[in-house]
Amino acid sequence: MNCKEFQEVLPYIIESGGNAEEEEHLRTCPACAELVQDLRYIATQAKLLLPMHDPSPRVWTGIEQSLHQESLLREGRTSLWGHVTSIPAPAKSWTPVGWVMAALVLTAFSLVLINYHPQLPTTAPSAQNMSAQPVPLEGDDQQLMGRVSQQAPDVRRAYEDNLREVNAYITDARQAVERDPEDAVAREQLQDAYQQKQMLYEMATVRTLP
Amino acid sequence: MTQVKKIIASGLTEAEAIERAKGGDAECFEALYGLHKRRVYSLCLRMTGNTAEAEDLTQEAFLQLYRKIATFRGESAFSTWLHRLSVNVVLMHLRKKGLPEVSLDEALEPQHEDGPRKDIGARDNVLAGSIDRVNLERAIESLPPGYRIIFVLHDVEGYEHNEIAEMMGCSIGNSKSQLHKARMKLRELLKLSRAEKAARR
Amino acid sequence: MTRLIFAAGIGSVVALATAGALALPPVLPNDTRNETRMEIAADGTVNVINSAGVVNVHPGTGRQVVVVYTTHSPNLEVDTSTSPDRQRVEIRTHVLHEQKLSPEESRVEYDIAMPAGASVNVSTATAPITVDGVSGDVELSSNTGEIVVRNVAKAHVHIRGIASAISLSNITRGHVEITSTGGAVQMGGVTGPLVSVGTTSGNITYKGDCSGGGEYRLTTHSGAIDVTLPPTASVDLTARSVSGSVVNDFPLQEKSHVSFVPKAGSSFAGTSNSGSSSVELQSFNGRIRVKKQ
Repeated sequence: MNCKEFQEVLPYIIESGGNAEEEEHLRTCPACAELVQDLRYIATQAKLLLPMHDPSPRVWTGIEQSLHQESLLREGRTSLWGHVTSIPAPAKSWTPVGWVMAALVLTAFSLVLINYHPQLPTTAPSAQNMSAQPVPLEGDDQQLMGRVSQQAPDVRRAYEDNLREVNAYITDARQAVERDPEDAVAREQLQDAYQQKQMLYEMATVRTLP
Repeated sequence: MTQVKKIIASGLTEAEAIERAKGGDAECFEALYGLHKRRVYSLCLRMTGNTAEAEDLTQEAFLQLYRKIATFRGESAFSTWLHRLSVNVVLMHLRKKGLPEVSLDEALEPQHEDGPRKDIGARDNVLAGSIDRVNLERAIESLPPGYRIIFVLHDVEGYEHNEIAEMMGCSIGNSKSQLHKARMKLRELLKLSRAEKAARR
Repeated sequence: MTRLIFAAGIGSVVALATAGALALPPVLPNDTRNETRMEIAADGTVNVINSAGVVNVHPGTGRQVVVVYTTHSPNLEVDTSTSPDRQRVEIRTHVLHEQKLSPEESRVEYDIAMPAGASVNVSTATAPITVDGVSGDVELSSNTGEIVVRNVAKAHVHIRGIASAISLSNITRGHVEITSTGGAVQMGGVTGPLVSVGTTSGNITYKGDCSGGGEYRLTTHSGAIDVTLPPTASVDLTARSVSGSVVNDFPLQEKSHVSFVPKAGSSFAGTSNSGSSSVELQSFNGRIRVKKQ
């Protein structure tokens, strides 16, 4: 088999593998081997491309306008980044399990973001970065700190300090919702708290900074 | 195929938000938009290579989502369902524009004639380890539209050839052939980009 | 890809051609100052990704994006690109060969002149960002770099920061959304159909009239919220804190229909003039104070 013949069948065998003759050519021909290596590498790198781009705010504005025109939506303010609008609404039914599920989803999100970068170092924050009595960061937060481990010391410190602050925010908000599940403001504050944490994760993991 | 699950800001689970959105709950629909907009827009942008088109198509995809969400029964993950809907929106748009024909007739240029390469020592030409995300994104953007669609659907978004064939109305063989041409073109673009950068230094 | 116009080598200075250019620091040995120009569609977006240094954005003349930048290391370069439809221009600082650079080497100072109507999206790690007078949408994020936005009208202004001090002034008829974890947010003359600021521990300061019949929502966990309103402000204002102090020194008419029972020291609600704009102030244990200008 020569290179021309091999490359004619390559589109159909590159994923599934070829017959003995084709595999033999691949083993013995450096040019075709290099070609296959490059093509497989391109495919592998493509799988690692993340959804990186946000549409402009105009897109949501357009959606809202269209839905209003079709009388499918009530009036309400626009917002971004998953904000739930603070449209006055009758008290929603709220299950205590709801915020637990929200925390589990956040955990799932964190686990998934870890899978984006399997070689990510998972070193815990170094002792010198931790003040005398802070609550140690655990689990997903530790993984997040690993994600920013290559950043400047000031930046790492900012993430660590603010992660703790946000965790305290979430704790307080959860307790408020527990005390009164029907309190719309408490639920809003819980969503604000989660949104803060979401932003931290996004900024740590989706950034494309050098 | 990877998916990122973000918190629905209302504190509800995604499933609860979907059920409420089915009932016309604007807040939950907006939360679903926030959750999925990036992936839908990135898909549209990669498939069209045009920002304005991608924004229009993102808007159309979510409008269709709102109209069709009542039909979502949970047989697949919501994100998978939305993704498929978005792909169909893009393909329909491209068909209206005149989707490039997928053809087996073009012969591929062989890399070289029979026999081993003469410059066998030139192993530093391999791409492995030298592509970064930015260069790859740019190269994808530069692909001819027909190649780009197949490449994005298969290598970026993870659809199988049988799924692509069904969506594009072509054969599995055509899908494989077009994908191969797309990868070959990318290889050429990426090597050129690497050579240009080296020459500038 | 746009061709870069490179300056001569070390110690040489490229003449600046940008109208309204800021006074840039003198060029030192090992500095390289460059200029590049890129075409952009009328409603296109300029994306800037830079870790350290400075990013200044302001209006220019003509239809081109004019970028003047100074690097301090040969191990770092600036990549620029324009999408085929000219809707997207990208300017990105790129470290070569995964080098480890010192803080000084990794800095790049950018001065970017934008055509009218174009939007800007800037992302930095520590580099401060200043956007002044652009007419398109503004989307900024930084880990710790200070963020300043001035003189923007009828546009979306979205800002995210972790420990970035954020300052907005003269942002009118805007759609403003700010999420800041620990950085303080200061606003002067910021109005719009929507002004929404959320922090965890960052203080929030607002001076202005909350005009325009919009929704103003300032929320924090433990930061302090200080709002100063002129007597002419037309607001429907509610303020609540779970355990922080809430003080009102602004004359308000009590509201007859409130979804909660105001409690002195923890919450209050009322209207001023015709109550056109909705203003909500919320905290957990941060104090809230409303004063008259």
